[in-house]
Amino acid sequence: MDKIKNHLSLINKDYETINLVTFDEWIENFETLSKLGVGLIIGPDDDIYLIKEQLNFIELIALDFNNFDDGRGYTQAYLLSKRWKYAGEIIGINAHLDQLQFMIRSGITSYQLLEAYQGNNEQDYTNGFSMCYQAAANNNGLALQY
Amino acid sequence: MYQYNVEDKKFLLERVDQFEKQLNRYLSGELDEAKFRSLRLRNGLYMELHAHMLRIAIPYGILSSSQLRALADVADKYDRGFGHFTTRQNIQFNWIQLPEIANLLRDLTDAGLHAIQTSGKATRNITADPLSGLTEGEIEDARPYCELIRRWFNLHPEFSWLPGKFKIAINGAKLDETALRIHDLGLKLVRNNKGELGFSVFAGGGLGAAAMIGEETASFVPIEDILSYLESTMRIYNLKGRRDHQKKLRIKFLVRELGAGEFSRLVDEDWQETKDDPELKLNLKELESLKEDFALPIKSINLDGFKEVVDFNYSIWKKNNVRNHKVSGYSIVNISLTKLGTAPGDATSEQMRILAELADQYSSSEIRTTKRQTIVFPFVRKDQVFDLWKSLEKYDLASPHQGTLAQIVACPGRDYCDLAKAVSIPIANRVQERFNDMKKLLDIGDLKINISGCENSCAHHHIADIGLLGMQKKGEEYYQITLAGETLIETNIGRKLGPSVSGEKIVDAVESIVNVYIDYRNDEEKFTDVFKRIGIDPFKEKVYG
Ligand code: HEM
Ligand code: SF4
Repeated sequence: MDKIKNHLSLINKDYETINLVTFDEWIENFETLSKLGVGLIIGPDDDIYLIKEQLNFIELIALDFNNFDDGRGYTQAYLLSKRWKYAGEIIGINAHLDQLQFMIRSGITSYQLLEAYQGNNEQDYTNGFSMCYQAAANNNGLALQY
Repeated sequence: MYQYNVEDKKFLLERVDQFEKQLNRYLSGELDEAKFRSLRLRNGLYMELHAHMLRIAIPYGILSSSQLRALADVADKYDRGFGHFTTRQNIQFNWIQLPEIANLLRDLTDAGLHAIQTSGKATRNITADPLSGLTEGEIEDARPYCELIRRWFNLHPEFSWLPGKFKIAINGAKLDETALRIHDLGLKLVRNNKGELGFSVFAGGGLGAAAMIGEETASFVPIEDILSYLESTMRIYNLKGRRDHQKKLRIKFLVRELGAGEFSRLVDEDWQETKDDPELKLNLKELESLKEDFALPIKSINLDGFKEVVDFNYSIWKKNNVRNHKVSGYSIVNISLTKLGTAPGDATSEQMRILAELADQYSSSEIRTTKRQTIVFPFVRKDQVFDLWKSLEKYDLASPHQGTLAQIVACPGRDYCDLAKAVSIPIANRVQERFNDMKKLLDIGDLKINISGCENSCAHHHIADIGLLGMQKKGEEYYQITLAGETLIETNIGRKLGPSVSGEKIVDAVESIVNVYIDYRNDEEKFTDVFKRIGIDPFKEKVYG
């Protein structure tokens, strides 16, 4: 079994600790939480359209990719980054090695691998391809051919 | 003929390298069964009890002679000397050993062949009419569009982990040989009243236990906007598709649950946000270049004075197997691999090499494969058809079954498939034996029989004139009969005739149905037309009466 971390907080790119709340907590207590500078954990079941107008109040977003076959996280990442231009960090948590290339191009800004994958060469999986056949949320440094 | 360039081939190799690493991690126990399953399916690999099946894509059903030779080599080197052409423009090898997969795939990359997304919950090999570009009255050759769309969804970051598999067919011809409305997504090339080219889009078709016909979600999407429209369709499916229920994963269930109107409204709402994004416009320059790559390699020739050879067997074969070409002086030649006692679609490596050789000699080195599991030579000079036939005869490839009832489509069934409820191939053989009389076959004419060994419907029995579906009743094999399925002009799922019929009696039942058809038809009236005119009762009476 994959060892899943139940995150209570995450460290952002400025090395600050950001406390996390679940999607449901956020929706229920938006008034209070929006003033506290917290981050949000979003799972595939969460209806991300509900927070579309609240993004400015969210310090950071952690998308949970633990369920290997559930591809909704990729669309969530796309909507947040490319369509809604969310300015904060989008961290892919409970990530699988073999899916990093898809997560990154869908718009996450960083990731945390599940423990089981420690020791693998991540570079092989973040982008092992010399080109891509489509424009996506993140095309940084990639040769596109389409 | 369109071929992958150096970068494409490099990409294929990189994909093999990646898959090999995953395979090794699986073999060493690092990667668990479930995840590996998900990854291997996206590389066309099915694991069966004793050996493994690998599905290689034949995009748009087109192969060069050298690609066919590469497949023959694979059949010899890694399989037991044969391959199986499927109904969806793929070829399958059934006896592959795990540690050899990566080398097999590497062997194929040089010929521009691959197994990427031939299975799994992502966009599958996109299918087109195998006669694309060859027949009169086409709206537009679909293949360049297929290719651009295939590329776009190749390892697409957002849509590689969909709720279920996603099959797309694109038709540019007047008649629909692609059966686009039984696909998850069907695209029909159309012109609007200003003469501009675009697509009508149909979503939510599919066969299987709950056969459904796709519904129109957009009547006209301009060609340059098709990628963004498809993305929006997949986005709604990705977010809202039924992931909670194993039997409801495919988009057809979502479209029915929401209603086609609501589904297309959601797609449209999403699309309004992206349709003007310049990054998502179809690359029209690349489209033009692909059109050149797909252009026909022949020009019309004047064959005044050419006299056709008179030979009885040749003329029967010719009547069934040879079609008119839109380019004058040329013919389209169908080659049936179906012989008594062999599985439909099976080809030995020797046959593949012979076909490659003959294609070099007679068909500009090009071969096409069809939904009816036959081989087509698309560019045969009229004055060389006889010579080709002579050669085919020599190699036992001149079966004149094409376009007759004996050209049966059957899935592997219980002889090869773990999921089967009943046999398919032996039933096909018994029907062929029953009708083993060329005069009778010619008299009956073009009548399609398709046989699936279980509800997964690999043989498309729902869209045949006579469809047989294998099932179990009290431990015995039975067959449900459906009649008058069709896709060419309109799309209809075959109607259930009545209670299923035992394996023992099924061939009698088929014969009864054929006899009703012959008794009632006027002149060359097609089976589906007779059925619409007289209804199901006369067939019922004869079979159960
Ligand atoms: C023994 C090997 C095979 C296995 C285990 C197998 C399994 C399956 C399964 C489970 C499905 C249903 C998937 C779904 O609806 O989600 C399916 C569908 C399909 N298979 Fe196969 N299959 C096999 C061989 C073949 C062959 C040889 C052909 C071609 C002749 C074929 C053509 C198809 C087609 C066209 C469909 C889609 C039907 C539809 O539109 O719903 N399969 N197969
Ligand atoms: S229809 Fe059923 S029996 Fe036939 S190949 Fe498909 S899964 Fe197997």
